[in-house]
Parts: sequence; structure tokens; C-alpha cells
Amino acid sequence: MLRRFRLEEPESVAEVSELLGRFGENAKVYAGGTELLLVMKEGLVQYERLINVKKLGLNQISAENGTLKIGALCTHHELENSALLQQQLPALVKLEQNVANVRVRQAGTIGGNLCFAEPHADPGTLLMALGAKLVADKGASKREILAEDFFVDAYETSLAADEVLTEIRVPTPGANRKCAYLKFGYLERPSVGVAIAFSLTGGGVSDVKIAAGCAGPAPKRVAEAEALLNGKSKDEASRSLAQAGAIAGKASQAISDLHGAQDYKEHIVGVLLKRAFQAAVS
Amino acid sequence: MATATRRHADTQAIPVSFTLNGRLQEIDVEPHELLLDVVRDRLGLTGAKRSCDVEVCGACTLLVDGRPVSACTTLAFEVRGRSVMTIEGLADNGKLHPLQEAFIEHGGFQCGFCTPGMILASKALLDENPNPSEEELKHFMHGNICRCTGYKKIIESIMAAAKKMRGRP
Amino acid sequence: MQFQKEVEILAPREKVWKFIWDVDRFIACVPGCKEAKTLEEGKRYAATLTERVGPFKVEFPTIIEVLEREELTHIKAQATGADNKIGSRMKIDLDVNLRAQDDKTILGFVAGVDILGKLAALGHGIIKRKADQVLDEFAQAVKKKLEGEA
Repeated sequence: MLRRFRLEEPESVAEVSELLGRFGENAKVYAGGTELLLVMKEGLVQYERLINVKKLGLNQISAENGTLKIGALCTHHELENSALLQQQLPALVKLEQNVANVRVRQAGTIGGNLCFAEPHADPGTLLMALGAKLVADKGASKREILAEDFFVDAYETSLAADEVLTEIRVPTPGANRKCAYLKFGYLERPSVGVAIAFSLTGGGVSDVKIAAGCAGPAPKRVAEAEALLNGKSKDEASRSLAQAGAIAGKASQAISDLHGAQDYKEHIVGVLLKRAFQAAVS
Repeated sequence: MATATRRHADTQAIPVSFTLNGRLQEIDVEPHELLLDVVRDRLGLTGAKRSCDVEVCGACTLLVDGRPVSACTTLAFEVRGRSVMTIEGLADNGKLHPLQEAFIEHGGFQCGFCTPGMILASKALLDENPNPSEEELKHFMHGNICRCTGYKKIIESIMAAAKKMRGRP
Repeated sequence: MQFQKEVEILAPREKVWKFIWDVDRFIACVPGCKEAKTLEEGKRYAATLTERVGPFKVEFPTIIEVLEREELTHIKAQATGADNKIGSRMKIDLDVNLRAQDDKTILGFVAGVDILGKLAALGHGIIKRKADQVLDEFAQAVKKKLEGEA
């Protein structure tokens, strides 16, 4: 049983922002509810009001001027079935196909996943490697937040209290752009997730982005590991993977918990980085 | 007296009009009511079970617009204007659905606790993909857990039902 | 969960010792701690500990009991509290040690922290990290307070 709350169903982003500003911590944005309702059922949080944002129509997927625009309220199911994404971002489609289970994918939204910022989540890690920008909207004004700047800590994002995540913008990868996301877990949620993206031209690797997630409190981009691969030939980069993996492992801020010991997770980050690189080039 | 009236005025009643197993239902729900509780306790359809309560096991699976949802973690008002199917609505005037027949014929259940969810999820699978490979089947059904059968008979049941359903005009 | 912290304070031991027993100023160093009260001078104190991890907030009305006291060197205390709203209990076993080093003081503490109840659902790792952060901030705040008032 849930505690009683009032349902608000605004029809504009400005209205949502106004409600959030007015009610502060007594109100919460509610989309798919696949994370929020669980912690409400647990009694870990209580809200006087839930703000249903599903009437805002933010579930479009489109391509515009070299940018893929994904509405924050797209469900994982809508994303995995998007022909446009299958064509332009197959790595994201594969990720979305493997989120949780079919029922969670049916109701859960990518925006909700990102905003709840549960450590053991997939999309954030890949979006970082894709150089995605997240649109934070107040109605009267909006700003773009780089995915790598979005996750502050476990369950904490850089969204202001009255900002709504409305869209995810991913630069359309060019023909030479390779990317892959791999995850590992044996519990219900992933224990370790690693994403890599890079340009591969004439045998050379450039513009590398590496992100490690799930192991620590928030996904992290690992510039030090990227530097090890940048500017190298494919073979040289392959030989640097072990070292890059070790760096990424440490950078992941792995926490020892039921998902695994710290050193185990750090090791798995390295393994996944190696495999993700190989998957991306093949 | 005045306090009681005030408390009633505080209650938010959301009218929910939806089709349940093919029949129109019109009820009022409060925002915090969960679909599983409304279906089981108010509508008396107890096929769906509360088991893990965290969307992991699938014992509470219902079909909303033909798609599987965790009723334990769905707010009841979300089925406004939609069609809901429970296991009780699968048989057609007493005639069992091919999936139900297959589960019986192939031993796809033992205690039966996971079975309503299993069958509804399989229906959603076969509606989407009438000829799934075993891998596709396992991927779709990954979120429905069974403690008794070891899954082999469940897979056989679904595959058999799929074959039968493909053979029908 | 066990934590060990040590901080070097550029102040004489007597000053640090006196500061610890000045309940209001000392409690002000604990992040999220408010409403400190002396129930029994030198023996029992009360305070409210508030912390948050993202949307999850706790407010523990806490009783602190001083179990042992060795002038200028050692304090052993236990803090217990319960947040009924979130169905969780907290217990901290604290060992505080002071060591003089020339005109500096080495303030060390060993804390055994137990969180029971629903909050534990957040995961041992998250809570441990948070507790570690809080203790770090506390140690730094004590150092700053004492050194700032040279």
C-alpha cells in the first residue's frame, strides 16, 4: 500500500516547473514510476503530491541537423523499437533491449531512469560516451547539460529543483564512429557497465570517449584512459587496453557491496573495456 | 461531523473508464491505489499475485493494451481509456486459449503461482512475435520467474502453443 | 561499518579537550547536526542528526552517552537514534583519542556505525560512503574551528 498523495497532471513544462517550485520537496515528478513507486512502497520517501508528466507529449524521437533528439518520456520499449535509433544508434537500441525486464521496459522512461540516478543503471554510461546533452527545462528558460556533468552522486543529478528533463540530444555518429556498451551482472540490476566510443579512420583511433558505470555511485567519464588510446593505431590502442582498463577500474569509484567487492568490480571494468573496444571495431 | 466532511473533500477521486477482459468498467480510484490491489480486492480477480512486489518476478503480470505490466507497481488510474486483460479473461466463453491448453498438455506449471503471469506474458510475446526463436522467447520471458518447473516445460508449452496458433487461420 | 580518522590540529591539547566539551560548538561541527542539548553535564547529551542521500532523508533524534573519560586523552561514547518516519535505527560507538605532539594535537577517532532498518535497503556501499564523508567533514570542521580561533 502506498501512502495517500494528490495527483497533479499539468499540461506544460512551465506548469510542472511552477509546481515543483511551489511545493518543493513535498512534490515529485512521476513518469513511469518504475523506480519512484518502489521507494515509495518501501517507505523510504513520502510525497504529498506526484506530478504526472506523461501529458507533456515528450516521447518523440527525431533527427534534426545532425542531432538525434530523444524525448525524455520515451519508454525503454519505444526506444528499443525505434527504426531511426536502430539505424543511427544501434548501441543504444541494444542497451534499451536489455534494461531490466519487459514489464519495466514497457512503463519505464529514459528520462526517469536518468533523473532517478540509481547507481546500477545503464543509459547514463552510454550517453556519456556518446557526448549526449540533456535538456533541463523550466518552461521560460532551458539549458543543456552534458551527460558527463549530469550525474553528481548516487541518486543525485545536477538538475535544479524546478527543472524538468525534457530531451536527450545525441550528436549523430558519423560513418567512422564506433561505439559499444557492455554490462555484467548476476543480480537483478547490472553490477558493472562500460561504454566506449571513438572514431576509426585509416587505422587510427581518435576522439575517444570512455565511461564506466554501475560499479560506483555514479557513471564517470575516464579522460585518463581515453588519453591512452587517443591518436594510436588500432593495434597500438588494443595493446594499451589492459592499462586503460586498470585506470578506468580505479576511476569507476567501485564500492564493495552485494554486487561484488571493489577489486572485483574494478577488474570487471577492465575486462568490459577490452571487450567493448573489440566489439566496437568488429 | 465537520471533520469527516473535510476529510472526504480531501480525497481525490479519479474516474477510470476502461475495458476489463472485454467489458467496460467504470470505477473511481484514488491516486495512490495500485492496479494489483484494485484488480484483486475491488474487482475480485485474484489470478494475478503479489509476490516480490518489486517488478522482478512477474507473478502480477497483467496485459494493458496487450502489453505486459507489473500490476504491483502500476497506479490504477493509469489504465484510463485502456484495455486490461487478466488471466480470467483469456478463455473464450469457457474454451481455453491455446496457451492454456499447451501449459496443461506439456506440464508448464506445478504449483501454479507464477502461471497466470507466465501465460499472459507469453500471450504478449506471441502477439508481438508469432514465431519466436528460443532465444527470443527467453529474452522476452526473462522477467517471469518460476520456482518449480526449471522452465523447460514452460518453454515447450509456449513453443507448442505458438505452433498451434500459427496453424490456425 | 568501521571508520578511522585522524586529524592534526594546530592547537594545544587542553584547548582541543575543552572544545570537545563545549557541546554547542562541538556539535556544530557535525554536518547535519542541530539542536544540541546537555541532559547531564559530562554524561548525556541530545542532538538531532539529519542526513540525506539524494531524495532520501533521515532525521535521527539522538542520545549521546559518555561511557569513559580520561582527562585530556580519551573519550568513549555511544550515540543511538531512531527515525520512525523511515523505520530506521542508528548506533555509533565512538572512541576519541587526543595525542599531544609538540604544540599540535593529533585528534583521532574510531567509529563503529550501525544502520538498521529500511535505510539499509539503500545499500551498504552507499551508506558507508556517506558516513565516511560525514566523518571527514566533521574532522575538518573541528580542525578549522580550533585553528581559526588562534
